[in-house]
Amino acid sequence: MVLKSISLINFRLHKNSSLNFSEKINFIVGGNGQGKTTLLEAIYYLTTTKSFVATTDADAVRFGERSFELNGEFKNQTENKIRIFYSKETGKKQIFLNKKQIVKSSAIIGKFPVVTLTQADHYITKGYPEERRKFVNSVISQASSTYLNYLIEYNRILRQRSSLMQRIKENYSEKLLNEFDAWTEYLISNGVEIVKHRLSFVKEFNEYLKEAYANIMLQEEIPIIKYKFLETSDEKNAEEFFRKELRARRDDELRRAANLVGPHRDEFRFYFNNLELRKFGSQGQHKTFQIALRFAQFFYLKDKLNKTPIFLMDDIFGELDAFRSTKISEYLGKIGQAFITLTDFSNYEEILNAENDKLIKVENGECVYE
Amino acid sequence: MQIAEPLQIAIDELSKLPSIGKKSALRLALFLLKSQPDEVDNLVKAILDLKRKIKFCKICGNISVEDECEICSNPKRDRKIICVVEEASDIIAIEKTNEYNGLYHVLGGVLDPLKGVGIESLNFASLLTRIENEEVKEILLALNPDAEGEATSIYLARQLKARGVKVSRIARGLPIGGDLEFADEATIGRALINRTEL
Ligand SMILES: [Zn+2]
Repeated sequence: MVLKSISLINFRLHKNSSLNFSEKINFIVGGNGQGKTTLLEAIYYLTTTKSFVATTDADAVRFGERSFELNGEFKNQTENKIRIFYSKETGKKQIFLNKKQIVKSSAIIGKFPVVTLTQADHYITKGYPEERRKFVNSVISQASSTYLNYLIEYNRILRQRSSLMQRIKENYSEKLLNEFDAWTEYLISNGVEIVKHRLSFVKEFNEYLKEAYANIMLQEEIPIIKYKFLETSDEKNAEEFFRKELRARRDDELRRAANLVGPHRDEFRFYFNNLELRKFGSQGQHKTFQIALRFAQFFYLKDKLNKTPIFLMDDIFGELDAFRSTKISEYLGKIGQAFITLTDFSNYEEILNAENDKLIKVENGECVYE
Repeated sequence: MQIAEPLQIAIDELSKLPSIGKKSALRLALFLLKSQPDEVDNLVKAILDLKRKIKFCKICGNISVEDECEICSNPKRDRKIICVVEEASDIIAIEKTNEYNGLYHVLGGVLDPLKGVGIESLNFASLLTRIENEEVKEILLALNPDAEGEATSIYLARQLKARGVKVSRIARGLPIGGDLEFADEATIGRALINRTEL
């Protein structure tokens, strides 16, 4: 899949920017706060209807304006036009696919696969287990809307269940406990489906991760994601283990009015050469793992969706040596379309090799081709 | 801008209706203002009659003109099976299929702790009374396939089975008569996971 062109109207610093892109690599160069990351953000909005930075839609409206508009033209086997219009006044975000308004944003997810690599990725390898769960959830959800649906339902059950536990705590009754058991039963059946998806995902994804290490990062270390649900990695045991653990912690859960057992507390552990990355990884090893995760995601989605994702890289090369950067951009040029932001291009002149690549300079929300 | 008080009151009342926002309410109010007096009288009468003449069946909770609804008082209906639904409007949907000849029971909602709805606020005790007093062999659960509907189905199934009643549920999955092509992927995915043996 290729993003042919884009336009941003009143989107952050950009008053009105229109750009045509290369089908290979697009280098976006500019100083800090000039609006280069905003271009990636706009592409991410168009493919997922959301931002990749923690922000509200209203925050993205240009200062002093009332609305923003984004347009993107994608080319796969067919051409697709996406338009997003957000109005501060109504607080509504309208999404149009080929001029037809889309009601559920989930209708777009997976249609235009996108992979991002940003500085914030260090949370995935260094942060709390929650960050790794988020990563895993987002990759599986991109590939499977069934999984996404189970996840949405599961979160709903968690909220209902904790609200009921709160009630039981304040006002104990046998009847409420019967209700609680019914919610627990549904928690199990939904949670087990999530666990099954995760187990088979991790197994498959590890192969992609290994390949990314060997072929792109040129590392001899063996990376692996380890995942167990309550000490089991066999999906046949998932239900039994889940049920047993819930029974064991029932009083504890009720006393604390909190969901203490289930896939929402799963841990995904990252290892290289049988050492846990979080404990033993150097700065460089973390970076390598983060990049490899994203390339693995790229090829995983490509195979699952039968579509080549768009690769977005925000300010990554500044942390890598020139040899590494060159290798990665060469590799990217071979596999599909990529958008790479750089603060300073002077050190990377040699990267811009292929004649198809494009260099775009961004200054104070204005874009020019070099 | 100051809006005349009667108009403001009409807008406030209309916007209490489901899926009517302030803007639609204003449009409706202005429409009524321009209508002929007898047209407005007819509408008012229809609404009053609705409230005065229609009641809820004292057995099943269905919409009815009499104390007992047409279904409960129909001797041709199969009295051994009761289909449990959330709202009376669900009965209309099932009746349209002409595939069901048993009785109904309107639960009046589903378990929803976040909204403070527990089994006490639902018409469940009356269902148990029916099971005790009538010759019910089977309960068919037809609640909506969302988290609340599913949890409620599990609750009902457990309670009813403990009282020796057979419990079944309508299949969850692809909409009947729906083309695979038009169903969303998640629905198809779920239908595949919940596949049945033939
Ligand atoms: Zn009735």
